[in-house]
Amino acid sequence: MIVRTAARFHCDFFIHKDEYEINGKSIIGVMTLAAEQGAVLKLVLDGDDEAEAVAALVQLFEDGFGEVK
Amino acid sequence: MTDSRAQERVFAGIAVSPGITIGPAYVHSREAFVVEERVLDESLVDAEIVALSEAISRSERDLNKIIAIAREKLGEDSAAIFEAQRLMLFDDAVRGEVERCVRRDRFDAAYALHRIMGRHRQKLEASGNDYFRDRAHDLQDVEDRIIRHLRRGRLISAVDPAHIVVSENLTAADIILFSRRGILGCAMDYGGLTSHVSIMARSLGVPAVVSLHGLAAEIQTGDLLILDGIRGRVVVNPSESTLTTYRLRQERFLRLREEEKGLVPLPAETLDGYSIRLEANLELKDEVSLIPEYGAQGIGLFRTEMLFLAEGRLSVSEEDQFHIYRSVVSAVAPDPVTLRVLDLGGDKILPVAHREHNPFLGWRGVRVLLDKPDLLMPQLRAILRASAFGNVRILIPMVTDVAEVRAVRSYVARAKDELRAEGHAFAEHVQLGVMVEVPSVALLADRFASEADFFSIGTNDLTQYALAVDRGNDMVSRLFRDLHPAVLQLIRKTVEAARRRGIPVGVCGELAANLRAVPILVGLGIDSLSMSPVYLPSVKRVIRAMSKEEGQLLAREALEADDADEVAARLDRWLEEHRCGVSFFLDTKVATRLGTS
Repeated sequence: MIVRTAARFHCDFFIHKDEYEINGKSIIGVMTLAAEQGAVLKLVLDGDDEAEAVAALVQLFEDGFGEVK
Repeated sequence: MTDSRAQERVFAGIAVSPGITIGPAYVHSREAFVVEERVLDESLVDAEIVALSEAISRSERDLNKIIAIAREKLGEDSAAIFEAQRLMLFDDAVRGEVERCVRRDRFDAAYALHRIMGRHRQKLEASGNDYFRDRAHDLQDVEDRIIRHLRRGRLISAVDPAHIVVSENLTAADIILFSRRGILGCAMDYGGLTSHVSIMARSLGVPAVVSLHGLAAEIQTGDLLILDGIRGRVVVNPSESTLTTYRLRQERFLRLREEEKGLVPLPAETLDGYSIRLEANLELKDEVSLIPEYGAQGIGLFRTEMLFLAEGRLSVSEEDQFHIYRSVVSAVAPDPVTLRVLDLGGDKILPVAHREHNPFLGWRGVRVLLDKPDLLMPQLRAILRASAFGNVRILIPMVTDVAEVRAVRSYVARAKDELRAEGHAFAEHVQLGVMVEVPSVALLADRFASEADFFSIGTNDLTQYALAVDRGNDMVSRLFRDLHPAVLQLIRKTVEAARRRGIPVGVCGELAANLRAVPILVGLGIDSLSMSPVYLPSVKRVIRAMSKEEGQLLAREALEADDADEVAARLDRWLEEHRCGVSFFLDTKVATRLGTS
């Protein structure tokens, strides 16, 4: 869902976890981060529509990725 | 090879395409390819990149189809897995990295992909979390799929003609390719009567048995097999006596088939001179050649959704549709072609975010089309334009309400106005028919008969809705009985209303090819039966052995029966007494399925 959301925007999007950095628009990259619930991630966005992209991603996290809790 | 392997073993499945064939197995599986390091000549690099992107596009088309089918048969959760796989195809880790690796190291694409995906897989497998380990399987699937397409030519040519292909699962595309290689038959672990691959096997005349649960893992290429596409059996390492029995059975089957060829030019007429139109159910324009081969009098049901599913998207242009419809219509002219407009079930392949709890009671058929005129209009325009080249009828799926028929009719009128204004040719009087597949339509058939130009009874859905049984659900599928007196009552009501209004009524569901049902349907006064062409000769044989009067009598008895078993038993007796020569197809429980497929 992160990847699909990010793909709607032009800006670059990287996710940092521990010492890794991956392309947030790559599903394989995001998967191989193997981020479990509770993991600490740093999201870095850079580009002309970065503000909108950040808003969309924050929304996604706040909504719990649409999963039923 | 161990002793147990050499022993005869029988696997039971579902017969989906008739025929009996004996020959060595060819096991088609993902183990069939080994990826080895291969360095390319500089001059081949560009071609390899092109091959890679073609393999990716083909894989995407595969996945589009799989997603659509998964959604329909398995639900949204399963479809989501394949959607994730589709996303992986376009990941830079696949396309970009592999391309760079091919250019830089001159590895062939399969090896480059294998290395790169292997690295990602390792990371996932190392995570020690089941969820991520499952994702590693997804990566493997994607890798296999792309490599399979990269090697397509080689894989297929590895299939020897004169073998029975055994696989966990094949795609419709596989079966097309295999049949061109002249394989003897096809046995699959998965699949059902109405799976696309089963429909394809039938239309290509490849004997097939599906749903064999675990056969592929149990045998090796070269094992001797008997495939019985009538009873739905596969015998592995048959004994001498079994072989003798089956050779006789095979001869008998071929003799019957030969006799049936003699039936092709004969009319489908009862002993007392009452004729029934026999038409074909088709979904691909390539199948049109089956019409003269089996003596069909036109196409009673052309399912257009396969055209969209094959493309994997909903935006098949009016022009593309027009060309396909025109070629079918002109090939079949002057016989009629009934084109059913797009019949999507639930949220199948539609780009919508919402998920339905009960897709069979949800957004399907005409409900979708009326909500999405941008789908309906181009299709109606394409069909109308094709009507200038032959005899076209339009069929509306999944109707429940008279207002829906009126709405479609007004869209047809609008499409005609547009075409007229643009100077396109079309036939003024294209008939608009209603699928009778929801009990409400059968119950109010009188009112629908004054809105529709013809009725076509879809017995599969009608049965499902009348008996509240989802036959895809193993827990209840035995309750799916299309010979149920309740279903027959609905059919009777429909026929009577059609009679009163003077409109034609046909059956295009599986019941049309059920040899037990044929005398009843004729007795009830059905005008036409439409089915997979391969079943037409047997059905014709039954029609030619009965009188309309007998049919009426049988229909009366069937309508008064308590349940489907009673109806089936009565009809079995009748078929036996009349020696229609079809007992061969009816001598087991599984054979019933042959009739109903």
